[in-house]
Amino acid sequence: MNIHVLDKSIYTAVTEAIRSEATRLLTAGDVTVIVGYAAARRKGSAQPIVITSSADADKLIFTPACVNNLAVYLTKAKKEIPKGGKIGIVVKGCDLKALVGLMGESQLKREELYLIGVPCVGVLASTVQPATELTAETIASKCRECDAHLPSGCDLLPNVVLPPMPQLEGKYSAEIARLEALPPAERWAFWKEQFAKCIKCYACRQVCPFCFCEQCLCDRNKPQMVDTTPRPAGNTAWHIVRAMHLAGRCAGCAECERVCPMDIPLNLLNRKMAKELKELFDYEAGFEVNEKGPLSTYTEKDDQSFIK
Amino acid sequence: MSRIGVFICHCGENISRTVDVERVASEIGKHPGVAFSTDYKYMCSDPGQTLLKKAIQEQKLTHIVVAACSPRMHEKTFRKAVEAAGLNPFLCEMANIREHCSWVHENREEATLKAIDIVGMMVERVKKNRILPTITVPVTKRSLVIGGGIAGIQAALDIADCGHEVILVEREPSIGGHMAQLSETFPTLDCSQCIMTPKMVDVANHPKIKLYTYSEIELVEGYIGNFQVTIKKKARSVDEDKCTGCGVCMTKCPQKKIPNKFDQNIGMRTAIYVPFPQAVPNTPVIDRENCTWFKTGKCGICQKVCGPGAVDFEQQDRLIVEAVGAIVVATGFDLYSIAEKPKGSPIKGYGEFGHGKIPDVIDGMTFERLASASGPTGGRILRPSDGKEPKQIVFIQCIGSRAREKGISYCSKVCCMYTAKHTMLYHHKVHDGQAYVFFMDARTPGKSYDEFWRRSIEEEEAVYIRGMVSRLYQKGDKIVVMGSDIAVGVQVEIEADMVVLATAVMPQKGADTLAQKLGISYDKYHFYSEAHAKLRPVECATAGIYLAGACQGPKDIPETVSQASAAAAKVMTLFSKDKLEREPIVARVREIGCVGCFACKKVCAYGAIEEKEIRDRQGNLIKVVAYVNPGVCAGCGTCQATCPSKSVELDGYTDEQIVAMIEAL
Repeated sequence: MNIHVLDKSIYTAVTEAIRSEATRLLTAGDVTVIVGYAAARRKGSAQPIVITSSADADKLIFTPACVNNLAVYLTKAKKEIPKGGKIGIVVKGCDLKALVGLMGESQLKREELYLIGVPCVGVLASTVQPATELTAETIASKCRECDAHLPSGCDLLPNVVLPPMPQLEGKYSAEIARLEALPPAERWAFWKEQFAKCIKCYACRQVCPFCFCEQCLCDRNKPQMVDTTPRPAGNTAWHIVRAMHLAGRCAGCAECERVCPMDIPLNLLNRKMAKELKELFDYEAGFEVNEKGPLSTYTEKDDQSFIK
Repeated sequence: MSRIGVFICHCGENISRTVDVERVASEIGKHPGVAFSTDYKYMCSDPGQTLLKKAIQEQKLTHIVVAACSPRMHEKTFRKAVEAAGLNPFLCEMANIREHCSWVHENREEATLKAIDIVGMMVERVKKNRILPTITVPVTKRSLVIGGGIAGIQAALDIADCGHEVILVEREPSIGGHMAQLSETFPTLDCSQCIMTPKMVDVANHPKIKLYTYSEIELVEGYIGNFQVTIKKKARSVDEDKCTGCGVCMTKCPQKKIPNKFDQNIGMRTAIYVPFPQAVPNTPVIDRENCTWFKTGKCGICQKVCGPGAVDFEQQDRLIVEAVGAIVVATGFDLYSIAEKPKGSPIKGYGEFGHGKIPDVIDGMTFERLASASGPTGGRILRPSDGKEPKQIVFIQCIGSRAREKGISYCSKVCCMYTAKHTMLYHHKVHDGQAYVFFMDARTPGKSYDEFWRRSIEEEEAVYIRGMVSRLYQKGDKIVVMGSDIAVGVQVEIEADMVVLATAVMPQKGADTLAQKLGISYDKYHFYSEAHAKLRPVECATAGIYLAGACQGPKDIPETVSQASAAAAKVMTLFSKDKLEREPIVARVREIGCVGCFACKKVCAYGAIEEKEIRDRQGNLIKVVAYVNPGVCAGCGTCQATCPSKSVELDGYTDEQIVAMIEAL
């Protein structure tokens, strides 16, 4: 029954390519650090790593467990990577969209980065053990609807051929269609129930590359815009703020959903916003730097049917 | 601890009829922070203001709320009074209990409770008000006038006569505009050229006016008092300093059959030309599209015959940057070309009237050129088709104008009067001819206007037929005009020799592009919008930019000249001070929270947001944040709505103030 098993054989070659490029870059001093993935303690698992010496290059890997969006380590709010030279970073297609978004919002400069692109078949869902085989069942939901298996515009893209990819049914699109078909009251009830679970840990904010504000509006108390305690009104306010602030920006890496301890389908909300943006403004997160996002631009072609 | 004073106005009976003002005063007196509250019949009156000032001093008040009319009405009045009593004027707020309360409600009890809420909100808001210092910006006392028609000429002369330098930019090779094309002018029938050309010469000779003809506005940057304007001076191919205007080049140019736009294309000109003999400057320009030299590289006769050697085929377009403090826009109008439907325009054409197909169906401006002594026929009314004198002439009014079904709903204002004038000019020149006018209404308000119109009927024998024309067609050398006379209720058919259409007055082509460069607003027809239809008719909503003439809406000459002088007066008001004071309602960045995403910069319509580097004492860059230039900021608050971390706020309208108001409810 290996009909569902996905061919991830290219990852060996990708890992090799990342290692040799990292060695070359750090030895030549072309970059001061490289952000990538390394094996973690549990069998098959991976975790982000920041290396500064070519001696550590062999630690770098790429496997189906490399789920994290490393772009978050380059944002001001998280300040993990000290500035001082070019930064090398390993990026999947979805992560690259985030970096491109950050460039469009004056947070990063392309010339300060060395992008090591990863041809990606998919990564594992956060709900399965890291050593699990990558199959049509165990693949992350975001990868089922991925349009960015091959990043473009990188400084290095390992020369491998992507295996034929099976057409997988989109879970987000199916769920969005189901919710859209519901009457507003039931749809509202669904989200109310989801938001009621929130414990306001703000993990979704901390992991999101686009939550780069040094002082989040939700942490301010003059005036108190969003109730700080995990109560229904404040929870809903937070999730609406989050969804609205990500509309027209979200790269779809689904990290928010992965880290949510309460299993709130956060990326479902993000996908819905993305769908609206696509329909209203023909906008999609991509590999091209956009100086002006769809929600900060006015054109005469904009839909005005909401003006009654 | 704030000691807030609240002053409730009766506004005669406007407020007190519906709102129990005494109860509002006593209720609000109990509100925390309110030290004094009272009511008065007319708070804006002299005794009312005295009461306010006295209370500030006697009660040692720190913040003021005046509950009265809309702040648009009297905010300035009360802030001035508060300032006179020694408080910062921005510690005074108005609670609108007239437009927002007494005028829109009938139930006294409910209106009173609402008034208490409105005042309570403003009390909570004023507690959060900060002292705002007045912002001053320098003023460059030079002005730019765009358009060299009568409006631009008048505005330029008025400003220059006050001793300030004026840059006058005209797109065509000569100033003069449409007025220079007219034969006679209503209601006095004085020759347009006779009254226009001296003004044109005054412009050319004025030491304070710098004239750029054959030039266009390329880019406008900056703000009131401090604009930088890039002007594109198109290559004239003739050196203006060397040319003496002798005109030999024009007499020798072999290209003699180019339709002259100034003569509505019925007269011809050469490839090197001045549009009309009285042109200012009297320097020819080479029309490179039609010049043999530029088309084939051969000829060059004009260069050979030019004594001073002024003809320069190598001349290039030049960009010139001028610094000015004020801009007068006077780009004028164009007549709607009715033959064809403009591409992409909601306005439909009048193909059924044969304009463009039947040569003797002309528009009003073409008739002006026929009637003009300096026109292509030397002032004789002759048919373009065969040069015969028309013995029956039909004028049709409201072509385009007031025709909602054709896409234009407005009245072009000048056509009733100029058609009356045309019938007179025709009668003066063709004694045995008969003029007919098809009209909807004759709109003749204005000094001596109705008398003028009556004269065309009673003395000059024009026949006015109330009704519209349904169809025109050529029959032999006649044009059959079929229409209805709704006064009598009969169909009318006239075999005319010539038909003159009073086509709609439209803004100049490209008016929208210029508006976008200037950052001013325009309506759906592309007429420029004034800041207030009644009280600020010559100012744009964008500070430092003023309007004159038909670019703002259809206008006749007297009205255009008045508006041009008014715009000049506004410019002079601006130039009367060395520094410009402006309301300090501007956005301010909270740098500690700003993460430098510049979402604010992307949405700012005024270009007020700049990038500012923050460095430590050693000079290391810490971060780049947004900075609002207070001279440019218009206080619209778009940045505040856009900032994801709420790190930019509009002074006087901070989130804290707004939330305080909501919480007071």
